[in-house]
This record gives sequence, structure tokens and C-alpha cells, in this order.
Amino acid sequence: METLVIIGIVNGLIVGGVYALIGMSLTLLYGVLRVVNFAHGEFVIGGSFLAYVLFNTFGIPPLAALPIAAISFFGLGYVAYFLLIPRLARSDDPESMSFLMMYGLSIALAAFMLVLFEADSRSIDYSFTPISMKVGPVYVATARVVALGVTLVVAAGVSAFLFLTLPGKALRAAIMNREAIQIMGVDIVKLSAFAFALATGIAGITGVLVALVFPAFNAFSGPEYAIIGFIVVVLGGLGNPLGALAAGVFYGLAEQLATVFLPQAMAQIVGFALLVGTILVRNAGFGRWRVSR
Amino acid sequence: MTNPATDARPVMELRNVSVAYHGDIRILQGLSLAVRPGQITGIIGPNGAGKSTALRTLYGLLKPIEGDVAVDGEVVTGMPPWRFIAKGIALVPQNRSLFNDLSVEDNLRLACWSFRRDKARVNGALERAYAQFPILHERRKQPAGKMSGGQQRFLELGRALALQPRVILLDEPTAMIAPRLSAEIYEFIATLPKQGITVVLVDQNVRQCVRISDHLYVLELGQNKVDGAKQDFAQDEQLRTLIAEWVDYRIDA
Repeated sequence: METLVIIGIVNGLIVGGVYALIGMSLTLLYGVLRVVNFAHGEFVIGGSFLAYVLFNTFGIPPLAALPIAAISFFGLGYVAYFLLIPRLARSDDPESMSFLMMYGLSIALAAFMLVLFEADSRSIDYSFTPISMKVGPVYVATARVVALGVTLVVAAGVSAFLFLTLPGKALRAAIMNREAIQIMGVDIVKLSAFAFALATGIAGITGVLVALVFPAFNAFSGPEYAIIGFIVVVLGGLGNPLGALAAGVFYGLAEQLATVFLPQAMAQIVGFALLVGTILVRNAGFGRWRVSR
Repeated sequence: MTNPATDARPVMELRNVSVAYHGDIRILQGLSLAVRPGQITGIIGPNGAGKSTALRTLYGLLKPIEGDVAVDGEVVTGMPPWRFIAKGIALVPQNRSLFNDLSVEDNLRLACWSFRRDKARVNGALERAYAQFPILHERRKQPAGKMSGGQQRFLELGRALALQPRVILLDEPTAMIAPRLSAEIYEFIATLPKQGITVVLVDQNVRQCVRISDHLYVLELGQNKVDGAKQDFAQDEQLRTLIAEWVDYRIDA
């Protein structure tokens, strides 16, 4: 039992790290743009497929795929911003329209990946040497340990950017007060495009990690990750990147430990119970920030 | 009656501007307004007259459905708000405009965004803000949201003035501020023209607004009911009566 709990904690941290990155990128995007990106899960899975193609076609291992995914998805996000978001401004009700548009994008991207990769679940047949490592009393797949390391580096890097640099502070300022940041002379269009690109870039990296951490993925896996992302965003407080990181890890731990103590079917309910509980008890989440509207 | 100050080219103008919310609720209806350099232009009027809307339209936060906004006689209608700083125009809006979780100093640094790579200029701006409001220096490491209402107002003013603007737009600068501090803020605003800063002041506090303004606009239902230099108001019994009726304040002759 004790070993199971330790395995649960280790797996919780690893899986939670992936959730944390998804949550952090979603919450940044929502905070700056006030757009709920339903297609975020598809961007994540797009990153997984990119790693898959890079390895199977070009023999590029997942670790080397990380920077490629980061840069290409950053660019993809930047282009996607200008293709999609300025259209919303023409609507009388941009927020409701954004729901429809991003949901449509989600379906379109999933369909696009289905055309490219068919409906079969894929996994990357790459193994690290050694194939597993001893962490305390338990063995953990090296791929998962590597994924956790990457998660820590990315989370620390993005946090340092947000909290220590002026452009990062401008992003946080836009989350706190979107009108005031424009009065400061900050071009909100450029800043929003950057936020969309950054969030998509992080999604691309997360996708590679998904391929390392989870057994398989397919064109329709996106919504699973998006839903977990939304739960994490709400738990962490809308627009609070650090809250999302903490909430992601918390969610991962809760999910993995639930599989230790509860029947498999019950374990899946835990996440949603957390979400409903949070909304009932504290609808601003547990982060200190609140998005001003 | 020729006055070189009033005859000078306006630094900012609304020309026949109409603004609507939700497509059809018109807040401004053909409002024209000119901000003369070196003066305090006061905009007063009853609640819902469109005072704040006029100010937000001047700063590009609202887009007119008709009419134009001009800066230095040049039409800039549709220019986004973030371009005004570069034209030397700063806004202190009515609703809180601080970044609460960022430190006082970071709030000031973000105001220097447009010249953020010019370290000397940024430091100069910080020093000016700290010299003007020493409490900001004392609290520079603290989150802006942790300060009192009055101190937050000082930070907003300091942040705008650190940019050395030639025009500053103020929307209800003493809303929710204790009376004693309010008086201090109005004294401060009254000194700005002497520093070469043109002021546009929208205020519910009519007494103070009329007292320190050089030129007054009285808005009613999104239109310019009457406007003129303050001495005109003081000399014209009809105008004085009108002001007294509209805003419950008598200008002394």
C-alpha cells in the first residue's frame, strides 16, 4: 500500500505537471484576450503529432522535438491570432462569438488531424536508456522523469518571464486591467498576439510531453486535455498563471491518488467533483488574483 | 474679446461626435468640444450627460459613429488609445487604473513602456514621480493595491505626470477620496498649467471644477448645452443662472 501511494504521488507530480502547463497556457490566453480557447486541446495534441512525425519520419527524438514544437507552435499561434481574433471585434457580442468560433476551430483542427493521421491511436516508439529509473523505492519510466524535468524548466522559465521582465509584467498587467494597459501606451493587439502565440507555443511543448507521459493519443484526444485544462484554470483562479501551475499539480495528484484508493471508474469523477466543489465554494478559484472585467 | 490663449489652435477636439453603446443607445449626440492649450478645460453636467464618454472618446477608448476626434488640428478618429502617449497625451480614468498586484515601481515602469529601452529617461520619469509624491518612493516595493485610496490616486497621477505629458485628461480625480485630500489634489491640478500642462477635467465636484477651470463645457444629454471662458460665465447673469440651475453652483461675478 505504501509503495502504491508513493507511485501515486510520483505519477501525480508527472501527470500534474502536464496539466499545470496546459492550465497555465490556457489561463494566460484567457486572461489577456478574454477568449476561452476550446481548441487548446487540439493544439496540445498537434504538438504530440508533430513529435510523432519528427521521430517516425526524420528520426528526431522527442527531446530535440521540444524546441521545434515550441518555435513552430509559437509561430502558428501568432498567425492564428491575426486570422481569428480581429474578426471577433466586429461582433456586437465578441465574448459569445468567441465561444462559437473557438469551438468550431476545435472541431476543424480535430478533423484536420483525423485526415492526416486517421483515427488510430498513436504513440512514439522511442525509449530512453535506461528505460526506467529508481525514484526512492519505486521505478519510474525515464521518459516520464524527463517529462517532469522539462515541465519544471518550462514552468520556471515562463514564471521568470512573467514576474521578472517588463514584457512579462505587461502581460500580467493586461490580465489585471486590460483597459489600463492600453492607457500606458502598450499596443494591446501586439500584446494579445504575443499572448496567443506564447500560449500556443507552450501547448506545442506540452503536446510533446503528452506523447512521453501518456500511453497514446489520437485526433480526438484534444477535448480530454482541454477539459482538464479548464478545471485547472478554474481551480487556480481565472487569469492566474501561478495558481494554474499549483492547481495542475494538485489535480494530477488527486487524480493519481484516487486511482490508488478508489475504483477506476470513481477516480475519473474526482476531477469533476473538484471543479463543482470549487465553483460552489469559491467561484473565483483559490488563486489570489481575480480577473477584473 | 480676444484672448491669445483661447484663440490658439486647440490641442484636442471633438467635432460633431456621436457615440452609441450597444449600437443604438446614443450617449453623445453631435458634441463638439475644443481643448485650448495651457488651460484647464472643465466638463460638467448632470449624471448621464456623457462627460466621461466624451473624455473616453477623446482618448480613443470609444469610437464615434459620427464625427471626428482631432489632435493638434489633425483628425485621429479611430486611433487606438495606446498611441496617445506618444503624442504627449495622458489619461487618468475614473475607474481604478492601477495594476494592483504589481509593485508601485512596476506600475510606474509600465507607464514608461513606449520608451522602455531608454534607461536614462525611465529613471528620470521615476525620479519625477517620486519627487512629486514622496509616499510613492517610500512604498515603491509594495503592491499598488495595498495602498490607501488616496495613495493609489497619487500613484495614478504620478504615473501620468512622469511621462511629462503636454495634455492630461482627468476623469473624476477625487471620486471616493477623503475631502481634505481632495482639496489637496485640486490645488495640485490647478498648478499644472503653470508647468505647461494642458488639463481636461471631468468632474462631479462642480464647485472645485468650476473654481480651477479656465474654460467650461456644460453637457446635457450628450450635447453641448453651453460653453465659454469662465470670465464669460461670471459676467453673464443668464449663464450664471443656467450653471446654478444645472449644477447647483453659483459662479461669483
